[in-house]
Amino acid sequence: MTAIPMDAALSCPACGEPLEAGDSFCEACGKELAPLAISSNPPGFSPKCPVCSVDPSVSASAGISQEGYCESCGRKVPTGREHVELDLGLLAGVTDRGLRHARNEDAMALATADTPGGPVAIAVVCDGVSTSPRPDDASLAAAQAAVRTLLGLARHGQDPAEASLTAVRSAHRALASLGSPRQAPSATYVSAVIGSDAVTVCWVGDSRVYWLSTGSDATRLTTDDSLAEEMVAQGALAEADVMASPQVHVITRWLGADRAEPQPHIARFEPPGPGVVLVCTDGLWNYRSEAAGLTALALPAAFADPLGAADALVTFALDAGGADNITVVLAPFPPVRAETSSRRTAS
Amino acid sequence: MTESGFTVDVDQNPYLPEGGRDVSAIVTVTSAADAAGLSASSDSPTGAEIIIIDCSGSMDYPRTKIAEARAATAAAVDEVRDGVWFAVIAGTDEAKPVFPADGTMAVADAAARAAAKRAVAGLRAKGGTAIGQWLELARETFESYPAKLRHAILLTDGQNQHESPEQLAAAVRECEGVFSCDCRGVGTDWEVSELRMISTALLGTVDIVPDPSGLKADFAAMMESAMGKQVADVALRVWTPAEGAAVKFVKQVAPAVEDLTGRRIPSGEQTGDYPTGAWGPGESRDYHIGVEVAPGEIGQERLAARVSLVAHSSSGTEVLGKGLVRAEWTDDEALSTKINPRVAHYTGQAELAAAIQEGLEARRQGDDETATEKLGRAVALAHKSGNESTAKLLAKVVDVIDVETGTVRLKKQVEDADEMALDTRSTKTVRAKKATAPPRDGQIGHPGGSDGGMSERA
Repeated sequence: MTAIPMDAALSCPACGEPLEAGDSFCEACGKELAPLAISSNPPGFSPKCPVCSVDPSVSASAGISQEGYCESCGRKVPTGREHVELDLGLLAGVTDRGLRHARNEDAMALATADTPGGPVAIAVVCDGVSTSPRPDDASLAAAQAAVRTLLGLARHGQDPAEASLTAVRSAHRALASLGSPRQAPSATYVSAVIGSDAVTVCWVGDSRVYWLSTGSDATRLTTDDSLAEEMVAQGALAEADVMASPQVHVITRWLGADRAEPQPHIARFEPPGPGVVLVCTDGLWNYRSEAAGLTALALPAAFADPLGAADALVTFALDAGGADNITVVLAPFPPVRAETSSRRTAS
Repeated sequence: MTESGFTVDVDQNPYLPEGGRDVSAIVTVTSAADAAGLSASSDSPTGAEIIIIDCSGSMDYPRTKIAEARAATAAAVDEVRDGVWFAVIAGTDEAKPVFPADGTMAVADAAARAAAKRAVAGLRAKGGTAIGQWLELARETFESYPAKLRHAILLTDGQNQHESPEQLAAAVRECEGVFSCDCRGVGTDWEVSELRMISTALLGTVDIVPDPSGLKADFAAMMESAMGKQVADVALRVWTPAEGAAVKFVKQVAPAVEDLTGRRIPSGEQTGDYPTGAWGPGESRDYHIGVEVAPGEIGQERLAARVSLVAHSSSGTEVLGKGLVRAEWTDDEALSTKINPRVAHYTGQAELAAAIQEGLEARRQGDDETATEKLGRAVALAHKSGNESTAKLLAKVVDVIDVETGTVRLKKQVEDADEMALDTRSTKTVRAKKATAPPRDGQIGHPGGSDGGMSERA
């Protein structure tokens, strides 16, 4: 993995000493920190071929190439990113390869921070652009760069809108350093910063944020950068026909070295009451795109068990066809800390 | 550019339908424009050049032929850089060293070049033609010197009359891998297929110089290009999966069609090497590679081939670059039925070359019907692919009635030189540019999805 530029050096909110992004405790003063979690392959994961590694007739030396293929049979071997579940208490997410893709090109990165204004939940979700080189590296690099920036700035009490714009720029730079205008690993981008008073959303492309609520206020908080949505805006396509349009998945903005500027959208949403923020890729919304329909699938379970509810939404998309990679992050609003230990699982 | 100064790009449609086995890709190899950037090995390789000049009796008819050949050889000698080993051989029904006269090689400097030109000025046309003998002497001369970049220029004006085709073929086989050879036929009394056999085996070019006065510029250009080569013995190393996989073909498709399939040299249990010869700065060549793989399940991805560019040298084998040819099985027909535009383009260019060669052969056999059909097909293909230089050459052999449908009439009177020019240059292709970025698509199941398969894509 290419080194990710650090835009906001992390430092301990208690003593100000520098921190590593994954630290759970401040090495200087010992303060417990809320860590961040990224859907990269799990620590200690070692790839092996599902077929050749169990076939005694193949020599043990037939290894896995740097690019992740079995050196004997050529199969793309599991990377550990096929199915990843992340749970930070305040929010949780599940990403899955789906049924039709050789690899998971989605990535997610979650973080929480404790600020004077209360706890903050942070989610970044990216969907690698299939038509660009190394889309799986692209999504991970973008999500990782952005979440580090968002976490660092949240710990410093920066305004979420400004922090979000800084974060999308650092994600854009991470992708720029991964390629060139001719060979540009690319990804969609969406971030959500869930504070006690508002949800701040920033996006480029067609990954979405929804506000799920059992009241009548359930709504989508993002507008896709897609040909279909542009046609709706121009009155050339009816909203109801978007899902059937062949243009629905042709995106008009993305992050990558072939784009000079990230051109992000930013929105601030003040929820009228309790609800759940859903951040997802098109692998989910392909099968249920209305906020009310998604609410029916996720609530009330997501209030008490965001991870279980995210898993249920992923299962729903898989049962519906699983044609694309699926990523679902759920964060109850307002964020309230329970005594929960952070954990991470992968299978 | 990578550290080696070479890049390897792969362009393909990786998607296969259920049960699909055939994967096709265009592999583009490009060397750095900057000579300093090309560093296959730390020891800069020494070059060796031999000019083989036909001195058969026919070179005297017209008299200008031998005179122009002498001037062309002198011009080529002038291009030989200081420090490069070189020699000149005169070919008749036997082969004789001209310079140095004792059959050794000289190290180029001003004095050696002047001495070589004096020796060349004394060349007289007398005797027959036995090209195999000429190549034999060149091989023996080259092999006495440990030069890495060995290159010859061979000029003839006639057919190989004083030895059997088997003798020539055997001599060519002996020379394969020892040196590369650019072949030129002057006038119209030589055999295109004979020289093409030599140039193909020896990884060189073949062309006609109809008028002897054109030799000088051509020789100087060939030698200049040879002097620019910096990396010797470069091969495409193709890895394929262990079971159920096979390389079906490896063809150079730009700048000209050369089938390398039969040139495979096994280099490991799952790899074979295909020679590409020597490379200079700022070169770019396209290769069309066809691989068969064992079918996978829907959604599975497999590496169908890894194409590495390798340079062999005394210090071992160095990998200069690599690209991946992938296979991914899908039930989405919109993806699996799509033909990559560059694969389609070069398939058409190979068909164009074959149609010309078959059409000209039919014409020589007096089969006008087949000749009209094949050359007509060639006219349509050249037009469709924008291969204007080939279209121009075709128009000297046939009257074009409708370029779209390829309706043509054979010309009654065709200059021998025009026919031979069409034949020798039939393999020249026009470059297929990489398509501009396709519509971006976050999801793969849409027609906007691309052909994927870019370099190192994994």
